[in-house]
Amino acid sequence: MDISGLREKIESEISRIANADDVKQVKVSILGRKGIFAEYLDKLKTLDKDKRRDAGKAINDIKTWADQRVGELEKQFEEIERRKRQAASRIDITMPGAAPLFGRKHPITLTLEEIIRIFSSLGFSVAEGPDIETEHYNFEALNIPSDHPARDMQDTFYINPGIVLRTHTSPVQIRTMEAQLPPVKIIAPGSVYRCDNDISHTPMFHQVEGLMVDKNVRFSDLKGILTIFIHEMFGPGTPLRFRPSYFPFTEPSAEVDIGCVICGGSGCRVCKDTGWLEILGSGMVHPQVFRNVGYDQEEITGFAFGMGVERIAMIKFGIDDIRQFYYNDVRFLSQF
Amino acid sequence: MKVPVEWLNEFVVIDVDIEDLAKRLTMRGLEVEGIERITPRFTGVVAAAITKIEPHPNADNLSLCSVNTGKEELTVVCGAPNVSVNAKVPLATVGAELGGGFTVGKRPVRGIESYGMLCSEKELGISDDHTGIFILPDEIAPGTLLAQSPIAHDDVLDISVPPNRGDCLSIYGIAREVASTLHQKAKLPVFTLTAGADEKVEDHAGLTIQDLAACPRYILKLIKGISIRQSPFWMRRRLTRCGMRPINNIVDVTNYVMLELGQPLHAFDFERLAESRIDVRVAGERSTFRTLDSIDRPVEPGDILICDGSGPVAIAGIMGGENSEITASTTNMALESAYFNPFSIRATARRLGIRSEASLRFEKGIDIDNVGYAADRAMFLMHELAGGAVFSGQREIFERKEPRTIYITYSNINGLLGTHISHEAVTRALRSIDLHVMKEDENGFTISIPNFRHDIGETSDVIEEISRIHGFEHIPDTSPVTVLKAQKLTIKDRSLNTVREYCLGTGFFEIINFSFFSTRDIELFRIPDDDERSRCVPIMNPISRDWGVMRTMMMPAVLKSMAYNINRGAKNLRFFEKGKVFFQDGPRNIREETLLCFALTGKEKEYSWKEKYTDYDYFDMKGIVEGLIERLGANCEFSPATEPFLDQGCSADVIIDGVRAGWTGSIRDDILKAYEIEQTIYCAELRFDIILQKGNLTLQYKPIPRFPQATRDFSFFVDDSVPIAELVKKIKDISPLIVSVGIFDMFRKEMRSVSIRVVFQSYEETLTDERVNSLQEKIIGEMTNIDGISLRA
Ligand SMILES: [Zn+2]
Repeated sequence: MDISGLREKIESEISRIANADDVKQVKVSILGRKGIFAEYLDKLKTLDKDKRRDAGKAINDIKTWADQRVGELEKQFEEIERRKRQAASRIDITMPGAAPLFGRKHPITLTLEEIIRIFSSLGFSVAEGPDIETEHYNFEALNIPSDHPARDMQDTFYINPGIVLRTHTSPVQIRTMEAQLPPVKIIAPGSVYRCDNDISHTPMFHQVEGLMVDKNVRFSDLKGILTIFIHEMFGPGTPLRFRPSYFPFTEPSAEVDIGCVICGGSGCRVCKDTGWLEILGSGMVHPQVFRNVGYDQEEITGFAFGMGVERIAMIKFGIDDIRQFYYNDVRFLSQF
Repeated sequence: MKVPVEWLNEFVVIDVDIEDLAKRLTMRGLEVEGIERITPRFTGVVAAAITKIEPHPNADNLSLCSVNTGKEELTVVCGAPNVSVNAKVPLATVGAELGGGFTVGKRPVRGIESYGMLCSEKELGISDDHTGIFILPDEIAPGTLLAQSPIAHDDVLDISVPPNRGDCLSIYGIAREVASTLHQKAKLPVFTLTAGADEKVEDHAGLTIQDLAACPRYILKLIKGISIRQSPFWMRRRLTRCGMRPINNIVDVTNYVMLELGQPLHAFDFERLAESRIDVRVAGERSTFRTLDSIDRPVEPGDILICDGSGPVAIAGIMGGENSEITASTTNMALESAYFNPFSIRATARRLGIRSEASLRFEKGIDIDNVGYAADRAMFLMHELAGGAVFSGQREIFERKEPRTIYITYSNINGLLGTHISHEAVTRALRSIDLHVMKEDENGFTISIPNFRHDIGETSDVIEEISRIHGFEHIPDTSPVTVLKAQKLTIKDRSLNTVREYCLGTGFFEIINFSFFSTRDIELFRIPDDDERSRCVPIMNPISRDWGVMRTMMMPAVLKSMAYNINRGAKNLRFFEKGKVFFQDGPRNIREETLLCFALTGKEKEYSWKEKYTDYDYFDMKGIVEGLIERLGANCEFSPATEPFLDQGCSADVIIDGVRAGWTGSIRDDILKAYEIEQTIYCAELRFDIILQKGNLTLQYKPIPRFPQATRDFSFFVDDSVPIAELVKKIKDISPLIVSVGIFDMFRKEMRSVSIRVVFQSYEETLTDERVNSLQEKIIGEMTNIDGISLRA
């Protein structure tokens, strides 16, 4: 058997490969079932044992060589083909992406959620009360009798004599204490209403009330809790101060100011040149309030606080007109 | 309360700068809201003494004044009538600037050279008085630069006095607090009131009080021969800086002493008091009374009236009468200094709508022990300013009360505050504000409460005083010592969180509207009278008619929000609002309910280079509603809309377990037009409380099937009389192996053609073709048995 021409035959087949299709054809013509090697291997069967071994080895060597050679060419032409395909489907990666639909929470909700998150982490539970309140819960039970000068401080919407739109979330204090014994540790978020409508007032706004009542709750605890709150809400370095104030349902009462975020304390229009922004009101629960709900004011003490959500949101987000919260302008809402 | 520091200085030595003082007061609870810096508007004005006055040779109404500035003698032409030799006057020298760009020059006036000008108060910008040249106070020496004298300078503190601190509504009251912070004692003005007249008040005037609870103290004093004129500059300046308008010397003194000491006073023309007597009465019946502003005021039983022999001459503490007021010709005057019941004054003032400086102070409670001193102070000043002779003695009725005392322990104080304030520091703090220890033991002490502190009634009031004097900044920040309890989160809160997450994920913008709307909204929405949404809760004193009642629906406000945005060019909107609605269930019975409201308009996006977006339709909104209710663990069905404001063709009621839980669909275009909207809006209003009752947030895992699914597609002609939801339900009911029935195509030629994909799944075995084929046959059989359904070949 003459195998001297085999290598040349194979080489001439491979040399005509010019593209990926040729690779496939050549693979069939030399390595396929009816290919050149198959033909030679058939002939091998006719040789005697000794010759068959030598010739077989020689054919196998050529086949290994041919496999490798065709494999290389195959990879080479596949890469060329891939490049061609990619070139055909090229995109401009700087074209805008397809934006997914995604909603926004109202900034009041964002602020409320943050306030609730902080007080929840301190063990306060959320309580609720009705928006339409009795004068009793809104005023009398909070130590604000009808001839009390503090009623001057609030302009109340009346539903009928004796029924009002709550002017603060403080009635929830009373409702909660009437419904359960100490210890009490709640916050009460909600809408409140006052007859005001100008650049710094809306007739409806939001407050969060807080109340903690137990044995031995101290004014220093109020300071501790509210300091944690403010540092969480406005950042750990925020300067703050507690300043004596007056609320009929707390005593002592404290207004809490933070260093003005606009001017950094040097004085500006927003802080009326004081360097401070009023952020919340607070104090130790007035003994009369405890008497009103039937708690023993000799045995227990507590603190309460209240804050305006819009005010906090305005300071946090730099909003200068409270009415923005209620226009529901998408150009406003989409910023949060 | 406006407090000129120059005045305050008379009561207490202010040895700190003004910012420091303001900070101290603020940290005491008397918030200084602002400091008005009064500075001169002029330069080059000196005090000069008039040495000679000659008539102007060329003008009758002008004179030539020779003035001495201490350095030189100058001639100035002057037209004012009130100059006199030796008077000290402000001379604006050549080159002086008087504000507003006006510079004084050397110029001839009717042929005579004037070396500057003499100025009125108005020309110097220190008051509105332009009646004559400003005659300077005697203590100012010629040559003094007026821009540097106290006349042109002051700092006025604007203090926000808390409503319970009526004792701080005076310069003296503020001085008491200032003195306490500066470790001083406030000093009262020292003066000697001498009776110049031979007459005694007791011989010439009578006084009775009908009800000592209404008026526990009343003092009547008399002065004769006074002349009514303008008050001197110093008094007018102080009144003006405190925000009061000077009137005449007598009225000004009553206001001045009120500002100084906190005691409101009233002056009567004594000659006009019938029978020369004052009777303090409590009105028993209705009447009217003409006050000095010529308005007839209704008097109600309970009002305190000051009467003379013939009837009322003043409504106590509120306003005097026209019949007894001081006039330019008054010569003999009666002065009232009294204490009236605060509640009574408040009730009367409130009813009459008069909130004067006097009634404000009476309402908050004045110092009953100071009534006499204030009367003397006023008589002294009136005599100084208006001349005349003061009668000796006075008429007085005074129902004295026992001073109040409070016992308090040190553990009360430090226990409530969380402090360790020493016994000594406690009593020192209280002493500094005139709360004096009367008795002491090792645990605590008894203090007396001065009568000017109406706000102190129990121990917590005293602790408050200690805390603010000790300083809040010296109270530590501590952590409460309390039992640890996990905070409770209600189902409602958890569900609301789910709702908010869902809305965020589905691309809704959350909006918030006011809880009020208008009955017009109910009419526009065609809500019938017998619908609960017509029973809205009205507001007695609404801001406007648009916000006249509490809302019973949220959609009207949502439409307004959409209109607002559409008008500003935003035509593609997805809004969500959670809020309360309010129903008047009975005369005294109001119900509050939480609603979830959704609205879509336009399309998902205006344009995209990649895809084409179509306008929102009913199914976009329906999908949102279905998805939300499913997320909250409930199942809903949709039945034909019953709402009068919806398009019947493409709207539905949302039913959960047979209960109507809301509606979805498109609002009638005539209603939209009324809200100025011209594009279709798809929306939904869901009753959150009902979804909560029906829903379930518990999550439970179901094993994932180990065997493959089989799928078969069907196409039917379905008559419009058969709702697709019914068809889907019927297929599902055929076998538990049917796990999903979906619509993948629908078109309409002569008939409606619907293509349905059914998925079969067993948890026990791999379904054989034979098994699935037999189910397929069953589906075809059962469906084509229904009237109006046939198989599409
Ligand atoms: Zn600032």
